[in-house]
Amino acid sequence: MPLALTVFFVVLGVTVVVAIVGYLIDRSAGHESKEGR
Amino acid sequence: MDPTHLHLLLNHVPTVGFGIGVAMFVLGLAGRSNDLKQASLVIFVGVALITIPTYVTGNAAQVHLQDRGEVSDGKTEGMVTLSLIETHEGAAFLALGFMEVTGALAWLTLWRFRRTLNVSPGMNGVLLVLSLATLGLMAQAANVGGMINHPEIRGTEDMTTFAGHLGRIAGDYVRDTPWTWIAAETVHFVGLSMLVGVILLIDLRVLGFMKQVSFAALDRLLPWAMLGFAMNTFTGMLFFAAAYGQYVNNPAFFWKLIFVLLAGANTLYFTFDRTWALEPGRDAPMLSKAAAVGAMFFWVGVMYWGSMLPFIGNAF
Repeated sequence: MPLALTVFFVVLGVTVVVAIVGYLIDRSAGHESKEGR
Repeated sequence: MDPTHLHLLLNHVPTVGFGIGVAMFVLGLAGRSNDLKQASLVIFVGVALITIPTYVTGNAAQVHLQDRGEVSDGKTEGMVTLSLIETHEGAAFLALGFMEVTGALAWLTLWRFRRTLNVSPGMNGVLLVLSLATLGLMAQAANVGGMINHPEIRGTEDMTTFAGHLGRIAGDYVRDTPWTWIAAETVHFVGLSMLVGVILLIDLRVLGFMKQVSFAALDRLLPWAMLGFAMNTFTGMLFFAAAYGQYVNNPAFFWKLIFVLLAGANTLYFTFDRTWALEPGRDAPMLSKAAAVGAMFFWVGVMYWGSMLPFIGNAF
């Protein structure tokens, strides 16, 4: 059981970090140039 | 050609190839040339991909030398020591980490460039520092690697670098602690879902499904796919470092790597493909459709060869 909990929280932590990084990347691409199209 | 030959062939790419990329990037900065900068970023991404097979074939070369009895545990005249090989592995492990981060940021910069038509001064600075650090670390790894094959430049004392035997430390940690492999395996599947989920959406739109959705909206999801790819590269390298003996003689593993490289090159194509700028309702050109079919084939191939690791090559 402790092993399952450890794995669960590690995976949860990694997923949260990835979600935050993905959100920041997406936000940084928010201002698009019309010329860019 | 076996993996040992491949290592000798590929090991110049992360130093010489990347060095050319860094020189072009510096020239692009000095001459304020976006074309040069973009070209150098493509080189960064390409070399980051090629560095993966360069690294893994290094362990294959080690196993080859050990099988031939040419590696000694201590100091034996004319023989290479296991410690020197593991020093090379450690320096390469650290350099590989820097290379993959540089490649990921270079791809992100290319992706952002076509939306914003500029590279921010901050990103220019980060890429410059990171690429120079990567080049230095790669040169150090190459220097130690050269000593393995060239006794004439080998010193009397065992060479060490500040990375120590990092590859072995990380690999042994993953192998010997119960939670790391299982957690990395779970993260590997999360990354796979993100990667293939987004790529499949984009490919289906290019092929003519969901025409009411704009390409730009789907293109915006592409960094999530690359985050998935980064997660899988990281966890995949942990698996490899922990149990390289299961992979270096495994044909399924090398086929998986070939498909990863082809899929990576395909993703790079979509970074420049003009389809993304088409309005909703418009059809993609035939070349883009062919690339989309290629992407689906390559990524399914990556999953297929990954699944075949235990069945064809007797891993695990």
